[in-house]
Amino acid sequence: MRRRNAVFVGLAAGALVLVAAGFGNGGNTSGAQGKKGGTITMLSNGDVDHIDPGQAYYQFTYAITYITQRPLLAYKPNSVTPIPDLAASMPTVSANGLTVTVHIKHGIKFSPPVNREVTSADVKYAMERGFDSAVANGYASAYFGDLVGAPTTPQNKVPNISGIQTPDKYTIVFKLRKPSGVFVGALQEPLTAPVPASYARKYDKGTASSYGNWQVATGPYMIQNNAAGKITGYTPGRQIVLVRNPNWNPKTSWRPAYADKIVIKEGFDPTVGTKQILSGSADVNGDFPPPAAELKSITSNSSQKSELEFTATSGSRYVALNTRKPPFNKLLVRQAVAYVLDRNALRLTRGGPIDGKIATHFISPDFGSVGFNQAGGFNFNPFPSAGGSGDVAKAMALMKKAGYKSGKYSGPQVTQVADNSPPGSNTAAVVANSLAKIGFNVKTISVQHAAMYTRFCNVPKNEPNICPNVGWLADFHEPQTLLDPTFNGKNIIPTNNSNWPLLNDSAINKLMDKAELELNPETRYKEWGQIDDMITKTAAAIPWIWETSPTLYSTKVTHASELWNGGEPDMSFMSVK
Amino acid sequence: MGAYIVRRTLWAILLLLVVSFLTFVIFNVFPSADPAALRAGRNATPALIEQIRRNLGLDKPFYTQYWIYLKGLLEHFNLGYSYYNTESVKSEIFSRLPATISVTVGGFVAWMLIGIPVGIISAIKPRSLLDRIMMGGSLVAISAPVYFLGLVSLFLFAQGTGVLQWAGAAGSYVPITQNPGTWFNSLILAWLTLAAAFAAFYARMTRGNLIEVMHEDYIRTARAKGLRESVVITKHGLRAALTPIVTMAGMDIGLLLGGAILTEIVFNIPGIGRYAYDAIVNADLPAIQGTVLFGAFFIVFANLVVDILYAFLDPRVTYG
Repeated sequence: MRRRNAVFVGLAAGALVLVAAGFGNGGNTSGAQGKKGGTITMLSNGDVDHIDPGQAYYQFTYAITYITQRPLLAYKPNSVTPIPDLAASMPTVSANGLTVTVHIKHGIKFSPPVNREVTSADVKYAMERGFDSAVANGYASAYFGDLVGAPTTPQNKVPNISGIQTPDKYTIVFKLRKPSGVFVGALQEPLTAPVPASYARKYDKGTASSYGNWQVATGPYMIQNNAAGKITGYTPGRQIVLVRNPNWNPKTSWRPAYADKIVIKEGFDPTVGTKQILSGSADVNGDFPPPAAELKSITSNSSQKSELEFTATSGSRYVALNTRKPPFNKLLVRQAVAYVLDRNALRLTRGGPIDGKIATHFISPDFGSVGFNQAGGFNFNPFPSAGGSGDVAKAMALMKKAGYKSGKYSGPQVTQVADNSPPGSNTAAVVANSLAKIGFNVKTISVQHAAMYTRFCNVPKNEPNICPNVGWLADFHEPQTLLDPTFNGKNIIPTNNSNWPLLNDSAINKLMDKAELELNPETRYKEWGQIDDMITKTAAAIPWIWETSPTLYSTKVTHASELWNGGEPDMSFMSVK
Repeated sequence: MGAYIVRRTLWAILLLLVVSFLTFVIFNVFPSADPAALRAGRNATPALIEQIRRNLGLDKPFYTQYWIYLKGLLEHFNLGYSYYNTESVKSEIFSRLPATISVTVGGFVAWMLIGIPVGIISAIKPRSLLDRIMMGGSLVAISAPVYFLGLVSLFLFAQGTGVLQWAGAAGSYVPITQNPGTWFNSLILAWLTLAAAFAAFYARMTRGNLIEVMHEDYIRTARAKGLRESVVITKHGLRAALTPIVTMAGMDIGLLLGGAILTEIVFNIPGIGRYAYDAIVNADLPAIQGTVLFGAFFIVFANLVVDILYAFLDPRVTYG
């Protein structure tokens, strides 16, 4: 999933709020005492990635998807524990881990023009359409690819997956080829939100589904539409208007849904948007964080800082070193880089301490106890330096051990491909300066952020020595979603590769393969903690920040930040004061 | 005149074809993002990306893609569909056209209404205090980038963000048909911001031209005939001084369009400039192509109009 500020790509879900330095909690986070009625206005810089819930894979989009659709599981705003939403109860897993059964609630209806009750067949169709290339869901194969009968190659139509069974209208049974530690967690993804086959099938035909423009809702809100079902409340890049879903039954839901209407206004410059929220002419930020200068001003203003909440994101930013190419194919050289890298200066490129803690390994401290403590918590720092500013002496000692007698690199120039605009370009400059301290001459190729990923760092044959602007967030509250796509050797693929260091360590791969099958959470988290430890010590990638994400509310609304979704506001829990 | 217009129109069509071809080449040769990978998302398999590439026709050689595009454009005036959200590019451009016309026409009017009178006043009173203030101010306006000036004007004058709250806020644009008052209020800062640099440049140019013209022999003759100074300036001086300015204006409308992109971003006006910006960020070739073609058409058309106007302003101009 794309991250909120669209600067670093990866997934986000498992996260806890960090009420930093006394900030935040300026409103009603639980939403227990909200007021019915009114309009909430959210401002965003860009657009949703896809309006179709089956295609959506972006933090900002999820803030809209989760209040218009009901996946099997979902989260309350102040929690990272999934609870039943469309499901009537939590899924049951058979002893061998191969069968997962979910019962869905009775009496949940689709919005107009469908108007009928949701059945288990609608969930089956929703998940199956994710494997159709006309929908092109970005995570269906990763999380639901272990279903019996799930296609292993892209399909040109919605496939029938035999491993998704619907014995009755309210029961859905998933048959898996092998046990999976993350399958149940993935049932909170929007792909499990029901889609009525008889209505949607005509829109799913062709090379690109248009169901998003004709979608129906099951949540408390729906995108405004006309009598035929055509979405009228979405103008790409401009505005999304959510109105109440007349068929939503509050007795089936834990969402209070206070506001009558929600308007998402797009295209705002972050500084202008921040000032509008502070003035009360809008209520909350969507995809952009308030700029660093604004944050500084807000946090030094006693009346404003209570309207700001910082939520930790469930991952890290890091510098990836290409382990297939000299000189970073040598462990000692990589470890020297890990010592010399000025992580404090790197963090300053993002705004300094207010942006988060200096990362010393990959699983974020605000990932709860899921893997972080098992990896050694804050005490695990294999490459320490004073203030995180780098230790040149230790780095040079390692370079000597690696065969560079002077302690400085003396080989050919190394190349990095970086963003062509701040803050990514500043990060790349800090990396080049740090490496220069131990003799590296770093050539920087600057390109657009998306091109950096899709043309260079995601394509192993084009990959440079260093990718300084990469990072990853967890899809949901499982360390596997954080570490497996990014460091498992089996996931190195010719395009869209996310294992940026091209790390292929047999011991790490073996332990990952074991942890993926582990059904006992305690054992699983311990194993992933150990994996985090092992990866960090390879210095194939050097983490430098566990980032927080700021959400700014106007004084006219109550607060409700989605802890599981990197701080996106849960607008079904917000209310006007 | 008719033959001239036909000839210029044919050249314009050829130019637009060249522009569209160059856009295709640039997009395919230079390292822009891979639209199939962007659409597929982070966890997508290479096979899915390849399937999307086939679905979007991106697996074909770029000249084949260009031919398909051109055929659609010439036969059905089809500008294609966005890779990003599958919306029709033509519909998007036409739905955003009123906003961009509002910005550019308003900006053009403001630029002329400010630039030319300021230039005339400065030329009439050269080296006076008023002249120095206005020319000094114009230097500041020329130096200030649209982005900077836009933000400063929002923080000073816009509702919601400004100290004085005189004008409409960023993102408050509504079509003129919906509410003319709100439309005007939402655009006034954008117009002034967009016009500032152009108005300043034209003020300086008008001043220079007029001072030069006022020293010509025929001006002296006009004065010798006993004509009033105001008539000498407006009927004899200004007419000659403005001819090159009109030519420049035609060419500068293209630059105004470039400025409109930044203005639409800063003031969050849902026009074609904003659409072009989003398309570039999302590597959305059909949308980039559509907006580039639109921009090229706009510039070519503006130049054609100026050339025709030239004949009316300068009787020496004839069309062979």
